[in-house]
Amino acid sequence: MIFSSLIFLYLFLPICLVVYLIARPIQVKNAVLIILSLAFYAWGEPTRIVFLILSAVVNYFVGVGIGAFKKEKYQKLCLIGGLIFNIGMIGVFKYSGFIMRNINAIFSADLPVPDIVIMAGISFYTFQVISYIVDCYWGKIEPQKNFFKLLLYVCLFPQLIAGPIVRYETIAAEIDSRKTTLNDFSVGLTRFVVGLSKKVILADQLYRIVEDFLGSSVDVLTISGSWYGVILYSLYIYFDFSGYSDIAIGLGRIFGFHFNENFNHPYLCKDITEFWQRWHISLGSFFRDYLLPITFFGKRNKYLSLFLVWLCTGIWHGANWNYIIWGIYYGLFILLETFIGKKRMNKIPLVIRHIYSKLVIIIGFGIFYFEDIGKLGTFLRNLTPFNPNGWSGYFEQASLMSNAFLIIAAVVCTFPLMNFFGKLAEKNNTAKAVISVSGTLICACLLAFSSILLVDSTRNAFLYWRF
Amino acid sequence: MSREEIKEKLTEIFRDVFDDEEIELSDSTTANDIEAWDSLEHISLIAAVEKAFKMRFTMREVSGMKNVGEMIDIIGQRIK
Repeated sequence: MIFSSLIFLYLFLPICLVVYLIARPIQVKNAVLIILSLAFYAWGEPTRIVFLILSAVVNYFVGVGIGAFKKEKYQKLCLIGGLIFNIGMIGVFKYSGFIMRNINAIFSADLPVPDIVIMAGISFYTFQVISYIVDCYWGKIEPQKNFFKLLLYVCLFPQLIAGPIVRYETIAAEIDSRKTTLNDFSVGLTRFVVGLSKKVILADQLYRIVEDFLGSSVDVLTISGSWYGVILYSLYIYFDFSGYSDIAIGLGRIFGFHFNENFNHPYLCKDITEFWQRWHISLGSFFRDYLLPITFFGKRNKYLSLFLVWLCTGIWHGANWNYIIWGIYYGLFILLETFIGKKRMNKIPLVIRHIYSKLVIIIGFGIFYFEDIGKLGTFLRNLTPFNPNGWSGYFEQASLMSNAFLIIAAVVCTFPLMNFFGKLAEKNNTAKAVISVSGTLICACLLAFSSILLVDSTRNAFLYWRF
Repeated sequence: MSREEIKEKLTEIFRDVFDDEEIELSDSTTANDIEAWDSLEHISLIAAVEKAFKMRFTMREVSGMKNVGEMIDIIGQRIK
């Protein structure tokens, strides 16, 4: 089921909230959440919950095994078994087609290419369980002995499909005991509406323009048309993905869970290192904690670690060469910034750092967009003066004029508006009252406007569902 | 080796790795206190510490160390 759909908003969610809030005690609340989460995931494609439950079962036993064995040797065996299973799952469901296509291409072979539909959310929930079993092995957390509590962690529907990648330790205590205060409910609901609006009002509308430019007519785009398309795509992807995270965090809060933030106004970054501290934070911290400390044949080498992290970041995003190029592209800029060093980076004028980082990010999302490497090449050429179609044309001028309001709104919304108003509200009671009342009104309007747009929309799947 | 001696030796390594002669370590020093200490330089730091003390950190320790005090404790146990 998709968050930005009328059936979710006006059927699933209300039922969910009523049943959840009535249910008591916490064990029943947990059972309600498990059942609703499985129903949410099974919607439209029931078979995939088999693999979700299988993943929970296997990782439950891996955790229990690690807890039961005293000898490290056996604990390690449990962990390795678990890792093979988890990575194998992603490998089969996400990469088998890509791997076979490449083997066929390299060796001119004719092996059958499996046609497996990528299961929504598999990259996210599998990374969650990997963090769980590694943390068990490292002794950071106690393995969960109650299967249903672990199942709740794995299948919890707010973040199941597209993150954030929640660590078990973040919500371990809340699985056993949590309360939804009135404040939690109101903060969560506001966050939910903000996320939904980012998705429906900004992202979906931006994507329609993006499709017109990058989707169908990349070879006839002018220089300004190419930049226009990819800048809008960069805005789109931010609102799509961070909108999802807002919804997940907001829903979590309504159910009494406090997930970590996944985005922190990434486009305010001054360099690429900072961008990745602000963009998809839960993925970056996953690789930082579980992949970066790896040794290579017993030796530590930060450059090899860096390469591995960015290769995996690329691969994680999709089974295609453009994602791998995209990951390594970022790795190179991080490497460059490491060579320059923080001190010298800070001496570069702020304006230049902002321009540099935005250029890298925007061109990066161009690489991210084009799965067809030929089209990617055409597009990259079209960004430069080598573009045979000239500097600018009617197409982008007309589009810019008719969408100016949307684009300005999107750019403004990349700034921390909520923090701004939050700080303003702290000043005095009158400001607080005004902001609180107008905030509620704005949320109601946003929800109404999103619903109207949804009635009329055809395409609204979240981009990150594929990953 | 006493905790003080370990700390002294560590200070030298930190100054060397982060290229900053003014670094002073205390048990509560964390990555937030030293500008150049990010997750990537952490790997260089760990490698340098391991070499100087002829010991190994586990992956868990590399990823989970909270402050310099914890690092000193681990080194103290390891080189007994």
